[in-house]
Amino acid sequence: MASFDSINYSLRPSKSVQRGIVFHGLKALSDAMALQNSLYIGFGSIWFTDFVMAHKALEIDEMISIEANDVGFRRAEFNKVYRSISVVEGRSEDKLPELLNQGEYQARPWIVWLDYDGALDEEKVEEMRWLLLNAPPNSIVLFTFSATQNAYGKPAQRPGRVADILGPVVPDELSREDCNQENLPQTLASLTMDFLSSVVADNARPGGFIRSFKIPYFDSVGMVTVGGVLPALGTAPAARAVIADHKWQGIVDEMIQAPPMTLKEVATLQAELPCLEDLTRARVQELGFDLLEHQIRSFQRYYKYLPNFAEIVS
Amino acid sequence: MIPGDKSKASANPTKAFFVRMITRDITLEDCIFDLIDNSIDGAWELAGGRPMSLADDTDLSAYKISIEIKPDRFSIHDNCGGISLDDAANYAFTFGRKDDAETENFSIGVYGIGMKRAVFKIGSKIGIKSTFTDNGGLMSFRVPVDVNAWLAAGDGNWDFDIEGADNLAAPGVQIDVTDLNEAAAQSFESPRFIQDLRRAIARDYALHLHRGLTIEVEGKSINGWAIELRQGGEFSPMRASFEENIEGEKVYVEVLAGMEAIPPEDSDPDGDWDEDQNRSGWYVVCNGRIVLAADKTTLTGWGTESWPIWHPQYTGFMGLIIFSSRRADLLPLTTTKRSVDATSQLYRRYRPNMREPSKAWIAYTNARRQRERDEVVGQEQEAKSVPIYEVAAQPAVVLPQVATKKRVPEANVLYSVPKPRLLKLATAMGNIRMPYKEVGLQSFEYAYADLVGED
Repeated sequence: MASFDSINYSLRPSKSVQRGIVFHGLKALSDAMALQNSLYIGFGSIWFTDFVMAHKALEIDEMISIEANDVGFRRAEFNKVYRSISVVEGRSEDKLPELLNQGEYQARPWIVWLDYDGALDEEKVEEMRWLLLNAPPNSIVLFTFSATQNAYGKPAQRPGRVADILGPVVPDELSREDCNQENLPQTLASLTMDFLSSVVADNARPGGFIRSFKIPYFDSVGMVTVGGVLPALGTAPAARAVIADHKWQGIVDEMIQAPPMTLKEVATLQAELPCLEDLTRARVQELGFDLLEHQIRSFQRYYKYLPNFAEIVS
Repeated sequence: MIPGDKSKASANPTKAFFVRMITRDITLEDCIFDLIDNSIDGAWELAGGRPMSLADDTDLSAYKISIEIKPDRFSIHDNCGGISLDDAANYAFTFGRKDDAETENFSIGVYGIGMKRAVFKIGSKIGIKSTFTDNGGLMSFRVPVDVNAWLAAGDGNWDFDIEGADNLAAPGVQIDVTDLNEAAAQSFESPRFIQDLRRAIARDYALHLHRGLTIEVEGKSINGWAIELRQGGEFSPMRASFEENIEGEKVYVEVLAGMEAIPPEDSDPDGDWDEDQNRSGWYVVCNGRIVLAADKTTLTGWGTESWPIWHPQYTGFMGLIIFSSRRADLLPLTTTKRSVDATSQLYRRYRPNMREPSKAWIAYTNARRQRERDEVVGQEQEAKSVPIYEVAAQPAVVLPQVATKKRVPEANVLYSVPKPRLLKLATAMGNIRMPYKEVGLQSFEYAYADLVGED
C-alpha cells in the first residue's frame, strides 16, 4: 500500500519524535556546515510534513519530492505546500541519477531522506550504496525502513536473510535472538549503519562518512532511521564536532516508543518538566493516572518533539 | 676506459623502497597477519617448538593475542614471550634475515621483513615494546619509530633507537601505531573490514585456535573454523603422511582430502550461488598457518595438465596439504604468506598427491549426475562430518562406485522473474531464503498437481 493510502503519518507520536530529532540534528549540522543552499530530496507523499520542516527549520527553498505512483503523483502535485517543491514522477533509483546529471544540482549539497514504506531489501541497499558514492560533497543522507520481523522471514531464517541483504558487515554469529521482535530494530539499525560506513570507507570517498542518525522507533510496527554526513574534506572537522557534542541526540540507544496520550495526560506531565531527576511511575500515579516505565522515559526525553494536535470528538 | 669514479654501479637500498614500495605488494589484512604470525612464533617456541602436524597436541591455551583497530590507531599485544634485547639489537629490526640469525623452530616468519613492512603499511608513528625473561627476571625495552623523521635522516643510518621501558603485564610484545596512513585509516573505519578480518583469522589460524590459542579483535575472541571431512558409509577421506630430507633438514608433509559437504543439486550455479561462501577446494598449510584457502586455480592444479579447471559441480571437495619443518624457509610459502611458491620443488613434487584425490572426486561427481538424486544423496548423508584431526590414515580417498543407470529423460526449465516477486513467493512457501531452484520446483509441483493431477 502506498503511504498516501495509509494514515497521515504526521499523527503518529513516535514518528513525530523521530522527525523532531532528525530536524533538530539537521539544523545543527546545517548551521555548522552552512547548508542553507542545499537541495532537499524526499518522498513527500501528499502530506509533505518533512518538506515543511526542511523549509521552516533549515531554510531550504528548493525541494524535490519523488513519487512513483501515478495517482500519488497527481495528488502530490495538487497538495504540495510550497511553489518551490518540484514533484517528479518515477522511482527514486531512476530519478536520483537523473537529478545528479543536472548541472545545477551537482555542485550543491543534498539533504536526502528516503523514508521507505517497506522493509530493507536488496534494492534499497543498492540505492543506499549509490547515494553514498554519488551524493555531492557535504550531503546528508537518511534512510527509514520497516523493521517488522515477519518481513525478514521466519525466526530461523532471519539472521541469514539479514546477511543476504547487508552482506559481509553482518557477523557470522548473528543469532535468532538478535533478530526477534524486540531486538530486530536495534540490530538492523546497527548493522545498516555499519553497512553505510563500510561502503564509504571501502570506496575511499574523500571526507568519509560521519555516523549521525540511528533511531529505532515503534509506532504499531518497528521502524528504523539511519543516516549520516558525507562531508567535503574541509568541512569534516566541523561536522564531526557537532556529532561529538554531548547535546547530539541523533544516536538513540533505546527504542523510541512514545505513548499515545490524551491532552489532559500530556498537559499534566508537561507541567512537571523540564526537571533534572527522572520522572517516576510513582509520581505519575500520584498525578492521577499511570504509564509504563519505558513510556515515561520516552515522554521525558522527547516531549518537546511530540505532535501538537487534538482529535475533535463531537 | 671507465673512469675510476664510475667503475661501480651503486646498488645500495633506500629506506623509501622499504616504506613506500614493498608495502604495495601486501594487503592490510596480510600485514596484520604478519604481526599475528610473529606472536604465534613466540608462543609456539615457548610451547615446545615441535612440528605442526595434525596429530601434535601442543597446548596453546596460555597464550593470547589482542588486536585493537580504531579509525586513528592500531595496536596488537601478546603474552607470547617477547623479543629479547639481543634479538632486537641484532636481528628483529634488520631488513631481511641475517645469515647468522638463529632459526626459530617451526616458525611461520621466515624472511625478516614482516613486522617492518606491516607497521610501515599501517602508519608512521610506531611504538614497539617488549618484555622478556632475562636471567629469571623481567626486562623491557621500547623501540619508537617516527617513520617520517627516519626517512628524512637519509640513507646513511638505518638503525632505530632502543629505550628502556616499564614492564608489560606479562612477557610479550605490544605494538602501537598512530598517525595512520590514509588507506589504513579508511579500512579501519569500515566495519566490513573488521568482520572480514575476523573471518580470515578464524580460517587461517584454525589449527592454532584449535590448540587453545586466543586471538581477540576489538575485545571479542575468535572461534576457529571447524575443518571437517565426511566419513562413513562408502565414503572415507584420505590421510597420508610423508617425510622429506632437504638440506639435511626434515620436512613433514601430510595430505588429507575427501568430501567436505554434499555436492550441489546440479552443475549449474543458481542466481543465488555465492562462490565466496564456498569452502571447497585445496588448502595449503605451512607450519600451521593456512597460506592458501579454498583454492580452485592452477596454483593447486585445477586446469593444468590432465586436470580440468574448477567447476561448481566439484563443490563438496576439500583437500589439505600440510607442510612443516624446523626451517620455514624450506616451505613453499611466499613472503606475503597469502599464496604458495608454485616454483618450489617441494610443492611441485607433491602436486601428484593432490591430483589423485581431486580426479577421484571429479569422476565421482560426473558419475553421480547419471544417478537418481535421492539415491545418491541418501548415500552421501550416511557420511558424517569428522574433524580432520580424527581422520584415520588411508592412502587414497574412498568414494562410492557409481554405476551409470538409465534415467527417465529430463527437461530443464529456465526462466527469470523479478527478484522481489520470487522472494514473496519463497516467503509464502515458508522460507524467504529458499534456493531459487527449489522455488521453481515447488511451483512446478504446485501447478502440476493443480492442472494435471496424479501421474
